[in-house]
Amino acid sequence: MSIVQVVVPRVLAALGLMLLNGVVLIYMLRKVLGHLHLRLGPMENGWHGIAQTTFDVLKLLTKEDPTPKAVDKALYFIAPAIVFVPSLMAYAALPFSNSVRIVNLELGLLFTFAVLSLVPLGILAAGWSSNNKWSLLGGMRAVGSQISYEVPMLLAALPVVMMAGSMNLGDIVRAQQPLWFIYNVPAFILFFVAGLIESGQTPFDLAEADSELVSGFATEYASMKFGLLFLSEFSNTFIFAALTVTLFLGGWGIPFVPEAIMQPIAPLVFMIKTYLVIYLLMVIRGTLPRVRVDQLLTLGWKFLLPVSIAWVMITGLVIKLGQTVFGGAQ
Amino acid sequence: MLPDVTVTRRILDGVGITASVEEVAILGVVCRVSAEQARTALRAFRDSDLAFTFMVDLFGVDTGEAIDVVYHLRSLARDEELFVKAEHAYDSALTSVWKVFPAAHFPERECAELFGLKLADHPNPQRLLTTDGVPPLLRKSVRLRGPEEVRNR
Amino acid sequence: MSDPREIGRPSGSLAAPDGILPAGTYEPEVLPAGLTRAPVGVNALATEHLIVNMGPQHPSTHGVLRVLIELDGEEVKAGEASVGYLHRGIEKLAESRRYSAVGTLMDRGDYISGIHNEMAFALAAEKLIDVEAPRRANWLRSLMAEINRIASHLVWYGPMGLDTGAMGPFLYAMRDREVLLDILEDVTGQRMMFNYVRPGGVLADITPAAEKKIRVFLETFDQYLDEHIEILAGNEIFQARMRGIGVIDRERAVGFALTGANLRASGLSFDVRKDRPYAAYSELDFSIPVAQEGDCFARFMVRMEEMRQSVRMIRQCIDGLPEGEFTAKVPKVLRPPAGEAYGAVESPRGELGVHLISDGSDTPYRMRYRPPALYALQVGESLLPGVLLADAVVILGSTDIVLGEIDR
Repeated sequence: MSIVQVVVPRVLAALGLMLLNGVVLIYMLRKVLGHLHLRLGPMENGWHGIAQTTFDVLKLLTKEDPTPKAVDKALYFIAPAIVFVPSLMAYAALPFSNSVRIVNLELGLLFTFAVLSLVPLGILAAGWSSNNKWSLLGGMRAVGSQISYEVPMLLAALPVVMMAGSMNLGDIVRAQQPLWFIYNVPAFILFFVAGLIESGQTPFDLAEADSELVSGFATEYASMKFGLLFLSEFSNTFIFAALTVTLFLGGWGIPFVPEAIMQPIAPLVFMIKTYLVIYLLMVIRGTLPRVRVDQLLTLGWKFLLPVSIAWVMITGLVIKLGQTVFGGAQ
Repeated sequence: MLPDVTVTRRILDGVGITASVEEVAILGVVCRVSAEQARTALRAFRDSDLAFTFMVDLFGVDTGEAIDVVYHLRSLARDEELFVKAEHAYDSALTSVWKVFPAAHFPERECAELFGLKLADHPNPQRLLTTDGVPPLLRKSVRLRGPEEVRNR
Repeated sequence: MSDPREIGRPSGSLAAPDGILPAGTYEPEVLPAGLTRAPVGVNALATEHLIVNMGPQHPSTHGVLRVLIELDGEEVKAGEASVGYLHRGIEKLAESRRYSAVGTLMDRGDYISGIHNEMAFALAAEKLIDVEAPRRANWLRSLMAEINRIASHLVWYGPMGLDTGAMGPFLYAMRDREVLLDILEDVTGQRMMFNYVRPGGVLADITPAAEKKIRVFLETFDQYLDEHIEILAGNEIFQARMRGIGVIDRERAVGFALTGANLRASGLSFDVRKDRPYAAYSELDFSIPVAQEGDCFARFMVRMEEMRQSVRMIRQCIDGLPEGEFTAKVPKVLRPPAGEAYGAVESPRGELGVHLISDGSDTPYRMRYRPPALYALQVGESLLPGVLLADAVVILGSTDIVLGEIDR
C-alpha cells in the first residue's frame, strides 16, 4: 500500500501542474501574441478573456473525434500518448524548493533529457500514422530537427554539471547560491537555442509550420487527441523554461537572500522565473520568421555542436585550473 | 516608338514570308501572316536587328470568319512595339511559339481553350482556366446565357 | 494515398492530333531562357517521388491557386501551377456590356489594385474615342493610383512575412492599410471595388476630409515604412530565407515577359510610368528602384522602395493638384468608331494592359486584359525545380501574384 501512497499523489501533482500550466500558458500565449501584433487577444469570456481556455478545453472535450479511414489505427491512437506521457514524466525531477519536488533523483538532469527525447518518436508516429503527406513531412522534419539538437543541448548543460558537481537538479540549484550560473554565457545561449528547437518554437517550429504544412503532424487529429498533442507542446515549453531557470538562472533562489527566508516562497519564485522565460520565448515566437530545415540542421551540426564541445573543454580546463590554483575540492 | 514598316517587311522577306505590314491608326504597326508562318515570323523578329525579344501578350480575336491570334511584341532596346496577327481557321491547330518566347506557355493554353483551337508542339497542352465540358467561351457563336435561360435550363 | 494528379484534373487534352503539325517545323532540343526542364507538367514524370498538392485552400497560396509539387524528400523536383478556380469570364462579359459598365468588371480582375485596372481600360477607351482627360483628372488619377499601390504592396508585404513564418508584420501592414482604405472610401465611396476612374476622367473630386487624412498619412507613414523594412529585411533569418533564392536572371525575365518589380529586381529598368507616361506621371518627380541580383530579397527591397517613391508622389500630387474639371464631357453611352487600341498602366504587379477592339457599337467587340501576374506565375513555376519546399512557398510569394487577375 505504501508504494501506492507514495506514487499516486505525486502523479496527480504532476498531472495537476501540467494541466494548470496548459491552461495558463495557452491564455498567456494568445494574449502576448495579440498585444505584440496590435490586437487584443481573447476578450469575450470572462474579464479580458480569462475564461477562454476553460471554454476551449470544454469544446475540445465535446467535439466529435472522427478517425480518418485510412490511418494506421494502432499508431494513430497511441501516438498522442507517446507524446504526452514523457512530457508528464519530465516534471518528476524539477526542484521547486529544497523540499518541494516530485521526486529527488540523483540523476535528475539525465532523467529529464532521456525522457524528453521520447517526444520526437511520438511526433513521428503521429505524422506517419495519419496517412497524409503533409503530416508525414511535418513528422520527419520534427524528428530530424529535434533529435539532432539533443546532443548540443546536453553538451550545453554539461558545463553546469561540472560546475555544480552533480546531476541532481536540487544540488545544481543550491550550488548557484548566491551567484547564478548565467555568467556561463555561451552555455546559456547554446542551451537556450537548442531548447527553442527541442520545444518546437518559432523560429524553429518546422513540425507545424502553419504557412507550409497547414497543421503539420497534427493535421489529422481532432478533439481530445489534438488536445493532448497541443497540451504536451506547451508542457514541453514549460519544462524547457524550467530547465533553463534551474540550470542557469538560479532555480528558486534570489541572489544574496538567505535560504531561510527563501524556502517558504521558493516555489513561487521558481514559477515566476519560469514564466518570465516563457514570456521571452513567446515574444521571440511572435517576432521572428522561421528558419528553413536545411539551415536549421546546418546550424545544429556545423555550429552548435562544435561550439558546445569546445565550451565543455574550456569549462573543464577553467575548473581544473581553479582547483589547482585555489586548492580544495569545488 | 513605331518600327519602320519597310525594315519590318524586309525582315519577313528575308525568311521567305510575304505578308502585309501596315501602320494602323492608334494601334501602331500591324503585320498579318498566315497560321503556318507565325512561328517563323516571330523567330525572325526576335533574332533581327529590331530585337523584338519581349512578347507583351498573346491572345485571340474571333473575327467572325476566323480566329486572329495576336502576338504583341516589344523591343526593349529600341522601345518599339509591333503586332503580329496570324489568321487561324476555326478548329485548326495553334502551333506553339514557346521555344521562341517562353512567356507564351500559359497564354497559348488559354487561347486554345477559349477559342477551340488545338495546340501543336506544346509541352503541356492542358486546359488552363475552365473545366471539361465548357465550350470555347470567347467565340462569338457561344452566347452568354441570360438569367431566364439559366433558370429554365 | 490517393493520387493528387487525378483529383480535380480536367481530362481533356488540347493537343492537336498528328497530321495537323506543319511540315518541317521541328527544332533541336534547346530550351530557351536558361530553363533546365521543359514545362511539361507533373503528370508526365516518374512516380517514385512524393506528389503533394498545395492548395487550392492553403494558408500560403495567395488566392485560390493549386500547385502540384513533386517532392524528393524536401527537394522539389517539379511543380505545376493549376489555375482557373476564379475564372469569371471577364473578357466575355465585357463583350455584352456598355463601356461605362465594363469598368466595374475590370475592378474585379486584380481586386487588390482596382484603380490601376480601371485606369488601363479608361486609357484604351480614351484612345478609341480620342478624348483626353483634363489635367486635374490626371493628377487625381495618379494620386489614387499611388495610394492604391501602397495598399497593394502592403497586402503583399504582410503575407510575405507569413510565408517565412513571421506573424507580426502582417498585422502591422493591415494597420497601415486601414488608413489608406479609409482615404479611398472617402474619395470613391468604396474600400475595394472603386469604379472611380472612368473614360474621360474620374468619378468625383477629392473631399477636404480626404485631403486631411492624406496629410496625416504622409506625416506618419515614412517612419512606419522604415519600421517595416527593419523588422523583416533587417532580420538575419529572413535574409537567409530570401537571399539567393529564386534568382531570375535577365534572359529569363525577358523571355518570360516579366514586368513590374519582378523585372526591375533583375536589372532592367522598364516602367510604364516612365517609358509610356500616362496620367500625371510625366509631370511628377520620382525615381524607379532597380536591383541587380534578381533574387527574392531584391524583389522585396524593390517593392519596399517603390512604396517610398509612392509616398513622394502622393505628397507632390496633394500639394500641386491643379484647378479644373475632374472629368471631360463624354456621352453616357460611348460609341467609339471601329478600331483597336492598347492602353497600359504600371499596376503594382507589372504592366497591366487592355487591348480594346471596337466595332462601332456601344459594347466592345473584344476586350483583352493582359494580366502581369500570369507571366509572373509562369516564372515562379519555372523556378521551382531544385529548391526546397519552404523555398517554393517563398518564391511564389515574392512574385506577388493575385489569382483574380490570372483567372479573370
